Amino acid sequence: MAEHSILHVDMDAFFVSVELQRRPELRGRPVVVGGTGDRGVVAAASYEARAHGIHSAMPSSRARRLCPAAIFLPGDHHHYAEVSRRVMAVLTSFTPLVEPLSLDEAFLDVGGARRLHGPAPAIAEAIRRAVLDAEGLTCSVGVAANKFLAKLASEAAKPRASLQGTEPGEGVTVVEPGRELKFLHPLPVQALWGVGPATLARLDRLAVRTVGDLAALPADTVAAAVGEANGRHLHRLAHGVDERRVEPHVEPKSVGHEETFARDHHTRATLRRELVRLADSTAARLRRHELSGRTVTLKVRFGDFRTITRSRTLPTPVSSGPAIARVAKELLETVDPAPGVRLVGVSVRQLAHGAAHQLSFSEAAGGNWDDASEAIDSIRARFGDDAVAPGSAFGPGGPRVKRGGDQQWGPDAGAPPREPR
Amino acid sequence: MKFRCERDVLVDALGAAGRAVANRGGSLPVLSGVRLEVAGDTLSLTGSDLDLTIGVEATVAGDGDGVTVLPSRIASDVARSLDAGSVSVATEGDEAHISSGRFESSIRVLPADEFPRLGAPAGEAVTLASGDFAAALRQVVPAASADDARPILTGVLMTPESGGLRLVATDSYRLAVRDLPGTSVLREGQSVLVPSRALRELERLLAGAEEVTLRLGERDATFEIASVRLTTRLIEGEFPNYRGLIPSSYPNRLTVGREPLIDAVRRVKLMAREATPVRLSMNGDGLELVAITQDVGQAHEQLDAKYEGAELTVAFNPEYLLDGIEVTPGDEITLETVDHQKPAVVRSVEGSEFLYLLMPVRV
Repeated sequence: MAEHSILHVDMDAFFVSVELQRRPELRGRPVVVGGTGDRGVVAAASYEARAHGIHSAMPSSRARRLCPAAIFLPGDHHHYAEVSRRVMAVLTSFTPLVEPLSLDEAFLDVGGARRLHGPAPAIAEAIRRAVLDAEGLTCSVGVAANKFLAKLASEAAKPRASLQGTEPGEGVTVVEPGRELKFLHPLPVQALWGVGPATLARLDRLAVRTVGDLAALPADTVAAAVGEANGRHLHRLAHGVDERRVEPHVEPKSVGHEETFARDHHTRATLRRELVRLADSTAARLRRHELSGRTVTLKVRFGDFRTITRSRTLPTPVSSGPAIARVAKELLETVDPAPGVRLVGVSVRQLAHGAAHQLSFSEAAGGNWDDASEAIDSIRARFGDDAVAPGSAFGPGGPRVKRGGDQQWGPDAGAPPREPR
Repeated sequence: MKFRCERDVLVDALGAAGRAVANRGGSLPVLSGVRLEVAGDTLSLTGSDLDLTIGVEATVAGDGDGVTVLPSRIASDVARSLDAGSVSVATEGDEAHISSGRFESSIRVLPADEFPRLGAPAGEAVTLASGDFAAALRQVVPAASADDARPILTGVLMTPESGGLRLVATDSYRLAVRDLPGTSVLREGQSVLVPSRALRELERLLAGAEEVTLRLGERDATFEIASVRLTTRLIEGEFPNYRGLIPSSYPNRLTVGREPLIDAVRRVKLMAREATPVRLSMNGDGLELVAITQDVGQAHEQLDAKYEGAELTVAFNPEYLLDGIEVTPGDEITLETVDHQKPAVVRSVEGSEFLYLLMPVRV
């Protein structure tokens, strides 16, 4: 197997750790960051909270039942994004080959950095020290020959939570060349990326419990049990094979926003207003990245969590709020909101660089949204995001402009229910 | 029902009627079939998806009148697979037998009584030379929209104009207008909106035909070419006011050879990827075409042209531009512009029967 030069850096309880820097009095107590409303989900939990069985993506209401003493903090996405940018800058000082996966984790390829910084395990230790010095935050680092093993290794390096206290992890776990399968095969098969509940049930019928059990089966048997493509993929992973490279500039494939309502909406009129707002923010973000896109997708989640998407591909890329909103509203006409809608989302795919925009006759006749969009962007750059907003986004408290990361984990407890008067 | 005919007669008839057969599931199952009716020595075939209906008549050796509905796809595949020569088709119970030489197949038929009955064509019959009409369709139909979400724009407007017939189509990015002077098909004030899908089928049928008979009714339009009859439901609704889109005057006018421009656009557009446009820079020296796609490459070409007006660069979707110039008649064309964001118009130097209006791409 190849030299181990791939690192996976994962911040320890990132959102919680960042909050604790601002509120040190909460250290040592069970702290949960996420949606505080009835429909919120847990974004991050301190190790003390994890000892009670709380984990991320769990509904906040369940977390409260598991640990009534836990302190719930609403997420502050903008602050975390700022800290994340600084952490990523530290990583980039070791190698330009940094591929961020989210705010709190990244892959690094340090193959070319070894001459300067020493062998990969030494670089991993140096990164931990540098992040701690710069931001006062700890992270866990996995070192291996590929991304998949590096990610499993960083998981193994993490601190462990129990009711007796938090046990510090190794910090850095190295999967030595030649020892990949010794590391991988004892792990439960769920550790493989792509093994969800359905696949797990099928593998269970084959008496597969560990990655080693899976690796011992012929590829055909695995494919017959879980499907051709997934089978091949799992078979390769079980043998420690993963050829994905670290790609520092992954172009976004889609740009969009979604909103979970504090109460289900039942009428198109209310949803249309939300769509205008979401389309406006989606368009602003596209323009910020100098992108435009041809496929507009509407996502609707009903009260029972049934989720549908509807898409339309346009002959020409768009990047203005009204153009995206028009398509989203047309798509909404094909959806019956009567059962109650919990969430709507708008996203744009098939992205292209540059703002080349095929004008239509309606733009020749009455006003041009490109000019208007430019004006909107410059007003927002000077006076803030809510200095200008679509008319339908205005409520009694002024405009509500959707920002990236807003109520990402569900509406907050304090947010008033939004129903039309 | 029983008849005998040459293989090619059956293949052509099944092929023509089959083009109207509903290929999307979900509608009446019987619409996946072609209706065959034998009366004496005349075989009539009909395929329909309720919006579009194509009927064909052929002379065969009849040996028993009757009606049946054959699954279109299977019947057509079987007929085409046969060697040239005589084919016989006969129904027996709920099966149809197709035999030729030592080959025989039995096909389960569809219930003939469920096949929709179609009314007789309405409207006054007008016969036109097919050449002009086919040329007009070729010029106008490509400008119609393919987006079913905007049904009105998927149609071609047929409307009376100065004693003749005018065809208009737009997808909101370009507009094509063609006049057929002296062709009086519609009453003054009567306009119809014909689905472009039906007109594309009509274009195929017109190839090689000499004349076409039109009947434009209130709800349907019927076109007859030799032994084939195509009937389409009309689109209801108000076509946009296209006259208001055409600027009354253009300060800038470029005159350029049509073929050299087509060749140049085809070459330069190879470097216009990912929806990037081709830029036309026009000044006293002539015309320059430029295409630049980041991370791919660039191309440019200088063309001889006559230009009157202010120096101007305007960008177009190259496909939309080609769609217009390719169907503009004559050796020389004019491109008239207002500025880089207003509609530009393509016309022939030789005549004013065709006009192609095109919105630029903003870069």
